[in-house]
Amino acid sequence: MLERKSALRFPLVGILILVVGALTVGPVVMLVVGSFSEGIGALGKFTIDKYVAAYTDPVLPKTLLNTVIFTIGCASFSTILGGLLAYLSVRTDIPFKGLFRVLPVVPMMIPHVLFAAAWITLLNPTNGMLNLFLRNIFKLSSGPFNIYSLGGMIFLEGMLDLPVTYLVISPAMYSFDTTLEEASWVSGASNLYTLRRITLPILRPAFLATFTLAIIRSLASFAVPSMVGLPGRIHVLTTHVYRIISIGWSPDYGRAAAIGLIVLVAAIILVYLYRYLIAESSQYVTVTGKGYRPTVVELGRARYPLFFLCILLFCFLVVIPLATLVYMSFLPYSMVPSARAISMMSLRNWHTVLANPITVRALKNSVFLAVVGASLAILLSLFVAYVIVKVRSRGSAFLESLSFLSFSFPGMIIGVGFMWFLVQTPLYATIWGLLVAYVGTYLPYGIRPLRSAFMQIDQELEESARVFGASFLQALKDIVVPLLAPGVISAWILTACMFIRELSVSAVLSRPGTEVLTVEIMKLANDGLWGQVAALGIIMIGLSTVLVLVANLLRVPLSHAE
Amino acid sequence: MQGMVSVKNLTKTFVSKEETVKALNNVTLTTPNNRILTLLGPSGCGKTTLLRCIAGLESPDSGEISIGDEIVWSKTHGISLPPERRGIGMVFQSYAIWPHMTVFGNVAYPLQIRKTPKQEIEERVKKILDLVQLSGFENRLATKLSGGQQQRVALARALVAEPKVILFDEPLSNLDAKLRESTRQELRSFLTELAISAIYVTHDQVEALTISDEIAIMRGGVIVERGTPQDIYLRSNNPFVVDFIGRANFLEATVKGYQDENHAIVSCALGDIVCSAPSDLAPGTGVTIYTRPESFEVAPSSSSPMENEFEGTVTDLLFAGEAHEAEISVGGARILAKLKFHIPLKKGDKVRLHIDREWCRALAPGEEA
Ligand SMILES: Nc1ncnc2c1ncn2[C@@H]1O[C@H](COP(=O)(O)OP(=O)(O)OP(=O)(O)O)[C@@H](O)[C@H]1O
Ligand SMILES: [Mg+2]
Repeated sequence: MLERKSALRFPLVGILILVVGALTVGPVVMLVVGSFSEGIGALGKFTIDKYVAAYTDPVLPKTLLNTVIFTIGCASFSTILGGLLAYLSVRTDIPFKGLFRVLPVVPMMIPHVLFAAAWITLLNPTNGMLNLFLRNIFKLSSGPFNIYSLGGMIFLEGMLDLPVTYLVISPAMYSFDTTLEEASWVSGASNLYTLRRITLPILRPAFLATFTLAIIRSLASFAVPSMVGLPGRIHVLTTHVYRIISIGWSPDYGRAAAIGLIVLVAAIILVYLYRYLIAESSQYVTVTGKGYRPTVVELGRARYPLFFLCILLFCFLVVIPLATLVYMSFLPYSMVPSARAISMMSLRNWHTVLANPITVRALKNSVFLAVVGASLAILLSLFVAYVIVKVRSRGSAFLESLSFLSFSFPGMIIGVGFMWFLVQTPLYATIWGLLVAYVGTYLPYGIRPLRSAFMQIDQELEESARVFGASFLQALKDIVVPLLAPGVISAWILTACMFIRELSVSAVLSRPGTEVLTVEIMKLANDGLWGQVAALGIIMIGLSTVLVLVANLLRVPLSHAE
Repeated sequence: MQGMVSVKNLTKTFVSKEETVKALNNVTLTTPNNRILTLLGPSGCGKTTLLRCIAGLESPDSGEISIGDEIVWSKTHGISLPPERRGIGMVFQSYAIWPHMTVFGNVAYPLQIRKTPKQEIEERVKKILDLVQLSGFENRLATKLSGGQQQRVALARALVAEPKVILFDEPLSNLDAKLRESTRQELRSFLTELAISAIYVTHDQVEALTISDEIAIMRGGVIVERGTPQDIYLRSNNPFVVDFIGRANFLEATVKGYQDENHAIVSCALGDIVCSAPSDLAPGTGVTIYTRPESFEVAPSSSSPMENEFEGTVTDLLFAGEAHEAEISVGGARILAKLKFHIPLKKGDKVRLHIDREWCRALAPGEEA
């Protein structure tokens, strides 16, 4: 029995290492080789010219400075906000607690490009609706807000990172043993002193981990920097790379690779720091089953004001951007709601968008990538997660580090790596090329949830089924699949939605014929066609919603197939 | 006076989604000064809740709590002192050792809050660590200690600021059986040596009996009996207490008459027995009598029958290390007796047993176990 098992699994591990390695390390290797090559058509012709050109670029220092301010700003903003939200929802008696489990996660549904687009139409300095509105009220000569600024970028990206920071901090808040605080009180310490000397220090590793994760994400972020930073001439590293390959006559993929590598190295260092901090913070988890009783902090008079603040935040995150998009999609150009505006409403934007063969193709491509791409990605993730959890060997440990490492890779940079790779293959400029790049870049997002799903399935469960006469495959079908189905479907939904709103990889690899929705939206925004941006954006959100709903319908029969 | 805790008519109700739990129901209790009082009772009877109310970690619905001469909580006077101003020490069930601090940091913390001079902090921490036998561990991270050591850090931390009273919530329940036993002894000798007032919560009856000067038995949010360990174990008249503490044989009996004021003659499955009893039972009254398994002795075979002797048959026998646990059938009843192991016994043997009249007690009728 045992021998058959390992004989079956050994080639599986080998094949998986090859496939996952090619998909995750492959582009990195290509990036390195590419950065030392003379050009995309001359792979392997050694030169260091690209490095010289990349690092003597006079705009680089300013770009680096912007990147530092942008990432630290976003990370601080989203960590503090996420921490506060997690604290309120986990530790206090804030009303409608159930809501807090859902609300912070809902914004994940809104693609970043659209979020940025909505806020640009509200807050751009010349005709942003909110600016116009405030100008009329207070009789100002210009709008009070300028979204095309570092502050504006930090505001947007910080809010977009909020769901992630919230999700990372919440478990730390949950597992915080409140008797540690009580012990401080009975020792004679006041609330404030306890917060300063006990609560915050114990939560510090968790906060630092969250902060690091937010830095990784904002370093990789492309939607906000491109939608807001490019028009505002505020460049960060991702947009800098993008400019190198998209502006001017000859895109220089070598120079892009040379710059991209430092971003990649920074991301890898950060992700190791993140892992270290997470381990550190779990050391402080001291929850013991017995005698543990989480005490709820009473907010008293601040209860409802704080609740309304949270609701306001939710409006900023979801309601306002969505409402703005819907409103804009019926208007020829942006104007403050008024009788005149209402009289000018029409379906023209929708007609234009749906009549344009390019956008229609982009729509089809995006749906194809989401459905087929997510299915392939999840299939591969299933095997990888299975091997990581159930086969304890050096190979599986290697797979785990691979999937963990590539978790930090910024899509834009990996996109450039894939570019170097795909050009050498017939996949270049085909939808399959994009598909491969998507799967490779976002594989860790599929592996992670499946890994925890596998961990929940007790080894004994599987073995006991086999003892009772079920074959390996039968055990898989009868025991593992029903238990795993909910996790698989959630992972599929997550991946599919991620593929629909994918921008950074697509921005590098999308070519005429392989257009995708987000890139088309970005182009429309560049041309200032906000009405069409809104219409296409709503179609896109509709698509993700349909995907989620259909997958959810599947979830019920599958998980009950006992 | 100093460390006396007095609780008057304390009530506490927990309201969660569907149910309300009356965790404390009109509890009144005064703890002895410089002694160890144990709150003992089955799980969920409100011990922790009472302790947390005293500490100020939970706020009661009504009643009054004072520590020493000071009222720390009172509904009617509108007083509610926060925990940090009650001058108490507390050892938590999970120990609540701060994981980001060293042993020294943990123990020095209460003194640092009180702005004690650095020099003095060092001296006092050193002294208290000596006392709990943790000298040399000062710079160890608190999480890198064994369970027993953590427990002692928690104790040192609770003691260091010389609190008026120290509260324990099942401090030994996270230790393994062996360690629990030795720590129990240690803790008792500490507390008696320091002559400190302590309230100690446990649901382990052996622990309560060995560690306490006095025991208060709780049930369903009410204190049902209070007394010294001996009183509680040997002389309780409360069926719940008798049943909860140790093992007991309960037998139905009928009062036949009195031998003296405190001893009645009853007839039961063992025959006619003299037992200690409440003094006002009319002949013919039905009562329940109880005996502890360890109070039976094998009657010396040579002598003529004494008072309270009876013969039974061994129906089951269990060797439990220091003694035989024998199930004995007598007069249609089955009783459990713990007999010295050097007496040769086997199943089916007839055996004559004797029980002293003091260890055989009649419960006043009308109380249900
Ligand atoms: N925060 C709370 N919310 C709701 N009910 C509670 C809460 N705390 C305690 N209770 C309830 O109050 C009752 C008394 O609880 P308490 O913790 O005081 O019992 P205990 O005697 O300490 O039990 P144990 O020996 O298991 O620790 C229990 O029924 C418990 O379920
Ligand atoms: Mg308790």
